[in-house]
Amino acid sequence: MSTQHSKAAKEFLKNQKYAKWHDATFWAVRSKRDNMAQGLDEWEQLREKASAIKRHTITHLDEYLDQFSTAAEKNGCIVHWAKDAQEFNEIVYGILKNHDVKKMVKSKSMLTEECEMNPYLESKGIEVVETDLGERIIQLKGQKPSHIVMPAIHLNHDDVGELFEEKGISKEKGNHDPTYLTYMARLSLRNEFLTADAGMTGANFGIAETGDIVVCTNEGNADMSTSCPKLHIAAIGLEKVIPNYECLAVFQRMLCRAGTGQPTTTYTSHFRKARPTAHEMHIILVDNGRSEWIGNPEHWEVLKCIRCGSCMNTCPVYRRSGGYSYSYFIPGPVGINLGMLRDEQQHSGNVSACTLCLSCQTVCPVKIDLGDQIYKWRQQLDEFGTANPEKKLMCNGMSMLYGSPALYKMATAVSPLANIIPPFILNSGLNPWAEGHEMMKFPKKPFHTIIKELKD
Amino acid sequence: MKIGLFIPCYVDAVYPEVGVATYKLLRHLGLDVEYPENQTCCGQPMANAGFESQAIPLAQKFEAKFKGYDYIVAPSVSCTAFVRLNYPRLLGGKTAQHTEEGHVCETEHTHEGHVCETAKKAMDVVEFLHDVVKVKQRLGTFPHKVSLHNSCHGVRELGLSSPSEMHVDKFNKIKDLLQLVDGINVVEPERPDECCGFGGMFSIEETAISAQMGRDKVERHIATGAEYITGPDCSCLMHMAGVAKKQGLNIQFKHVVEILAAGL
Amino acid sequence: MASKEDILKKYRANVRQQFDMPDLSDIKATTYPEPLVQFVKMSEMVGGQVIEVDPGRDINTLIKGLYPDAKEIASNLPEVTIATRNPDTVGRARDLNGTDVGIIRGMFGVAENGCIWIPQQMKEKAVCFISENLVILLPKSQIVNNMHEAYKRIEFNDYGYGTFISGPSKTADIAQVLVMGAQAARSVTILLMPE
Repeated sequence: MSTQHSKAAKEFLKNQKYAKWHDATFWAVRSKRDNMAQGLDEWEQLREKASAIKRHTITHLDEYLDQFSTAAEKNGCIVHWAKDAQEFNEIVYGILKNHDVKKMVKSKSMLTEECEMNPYLESKGIEVVETDLGERIIQLKGQKPSHIVMPAIHLNHDDVGELFEEKGISKEKGNHDPTYLTYMARLSLRNEFLTADAGMTGANFGIAETGDIVVCTNEGNADMSTSCPKLHIAAIGLEKVIPNYECLAVFQRMLCRAGTGQPTTTYTSHFRKARPTAHEMHIILVDNGRSEWIGNPEHWEVLKCIRCGSCMNTCPVYRRSGGYSYSYFIPGPVGINLGMLRDEQQHSGNVSACTLCLSCQTVCPVKIDLGDQIYKWRQQLDEFGTANPEKKLMCNGMSMLYGSPALYKMATAVSPLANIIPPFILNSGLNPWAEGHEMMKFPKKPFHTIIKELKD
Repeated sequence: MKIGLFIPCYVDAVYPEVGVATYKLLRHLGLDVEYPENQTCCGQPMANAGFESQAIPLAQKFEAKFKGYDYIVAPSVSCTAFVRLNYPRLLGGKTAQHTEEGHVCETEHTHEGHVCETAKKAMDVVEFLHDVVKVKQRLGTFPHKVSLHNSCHGVRELGLSSPSEMHVDKFNKIKDLLQLVDGINVVEPERPDECCGFGGMFSIEETAISAQMGRDKVERHIATGAEYITGPDCSCLMHMAGVAKKQGLNIQFKHVVEILAAGL
Repeated sequence: MASKEDILKKYRANVRQQFDMPDLSDIKATTYPEPLVQFVKMSEMVGGQVIEVDPGRDINTLIKGLYPDAKEIASNLPEVTIATRNPDTVGRARDLNGTDVGIIRGMFGVAENGCIWIPQQMKEKAVCFISENLVILLPKSQIVNNMHEAYKRIEFNDYGYGTFISGPSKTADIAQVLVMGAQAARSVTILLMPE
């Protein structure tokens, strides 16, 4: 009864030292979040408000999008609308081509990952340079992000040191000190910022009332990406637009506390227009399924997500399997849900990568019922045609057994026989329970027999 | 007050002593307890695996069997949570496959016509003793150090203890009851409410992670120096015990109600 | 634009149930008995250096004293006399590269997180990020408690850009080791200015 995820997880866990480090690292981030949460008396109130603001906003999103784009255009921005990933990529390429862009620096954007923008632009001969250090590392390594906030977390300093040596970014062979490596990356990226023709940012928030694009970073790479190049393109998913600054205060206070356990990102930058010595600022609003997901009665609330990553950090399954075990580019609880919305045929396997412990929805700053939604997706697998046949068979069997008290009692009468099944059969591949457990002993008398004797 | 004793399938078949302890404890407290015969299963295993409609006939049987009791008490947080939180919805005809057009499913369900008061009276034995009976008298004797396992369904569905994720006043109903036991020393492990990794079908589908989570959890319990791991759900205990035995990890297991009733 | 109408129409049609905007006026946001004290504490916690400037003290000698080896100092502030470069008059933004110290003005600070609101006040905002070291002049009486208060008072000018900066640029992307000085300022010194 294995899935892509369970097989990948098994491989992941074979390297016990690495797996333990991965689990401890993310638990540490979860603990830092806990400290932040405990440090604010208003934390749970903020979560409630954040959830309510999002519920209101995404169910009135057409109005806010209209308000946002009008305000942005009034500021002087050029606003585009992309119905899907392909259109987004084409719009970006169109803008870059018009401005003769050879090289574009960009700050972090999971949306561009969702649309697979980088390979598209590269196929058209445009060099794309990731400037978030984690993203740059995996770009140079040719890997995908393993976490939405800490994309290179799966690599250690030796991995990075060797990579930088190979790519000519670091000069001192064998010096894998993170401070040294970060400095060498700084020098390399500094050159990129200075020579790029365009800068692209994502958007943590779009403010409907004022047309601001708000970008939160610790590195300052979104600001560097937009301070030197002559073109700024901001990519924003529809659901990132929020009404006004009063709402923004709630989310800004929660985003970093929830995601990395810091009271704020170093930079919280508001972009309204191109700087005077740049040519233009473009904003591309991307649908790519969101206008459909709002109509899903069980799962529309996933659109509340602010991409903080705290659900992954707290997920005991994510911590012990890593981002690459999941088939969707976003892993963990929110990734399971988003993957199903994106393509339930391809990503159904992730849905069983969950014990329904509900820690994810207890940390979620916007109170998305992530675990409850995973339970709901499971109910739909049969209808999708992606239910596991062995599971279905087992459940049908249990249904039959439990549907008949007489049959059930008979089963409990013979279950003690399991005690004498030889280990070589019990531990064979036919009994997955025995892989990790020693079999329990079935008592001679079940409760329903003993209670009769007690009362007599 | 008439109490109907609900003994989940695996408690009945694998851990009858937990059912016996529950019965004895409730009787010791002077309560009128009955065990309606021919119980089978609440349907949670199938529901969590994706076939919750298979729980509907079981819900109907439950409804019929336990009608008329003031409370239905079970020594299992996961089964209780499943019954209380899902039966009203399932009996109201609202499953994921059969949501009416235009209806947005919410976690609290309101529906016309169908009476399902019975499921709402289902309580786990810990919350029943703590919140309804409000036990204050001394209970059993158990002069041992025990490490408390805060099962996920208990923490995050039934509110037996404050979730470590939340900024709320700290409380733990299980601990409160255990403090009524003579000689006991109750401790909690690091990561006090991290999941043990059972998760029903999860344990046989994601075997590697399930075993890893179980082992990590048992090791944390052992690190407290406790002789016993105790908790409000036998499925967690069964999983951890199985993992512990396989890995050669030395610690014993007892359901909370067994400790509360010890020596009575 | 055809796509805009299509998208908005589709979205509107799919919304099943609407929810009202909650009341945000009852948020019990944390406040501090001494916001300035908290601001200094948080600024230092995020890696910033805070210096209280006595009335009459010349900030130019102060800054020169802090960065004796600085060769290139960039600022457009009238009270700064030691600048060797001016972000208002440089030819291109990239010409500001190699700036040892950038000196800019902050409007107010936020106690809960050490943020300083900095609207763009120069032609090339690169000075705020490209400088190796950043010095921010902040009026010490202008400290608010939290971001709710902050977002009530941020103002923009015609440059159309503003940012909250809290401490130096940082990253923990390599093996989770925190390093100050990722892509922007490697150090931040806040000069608390008297009235």
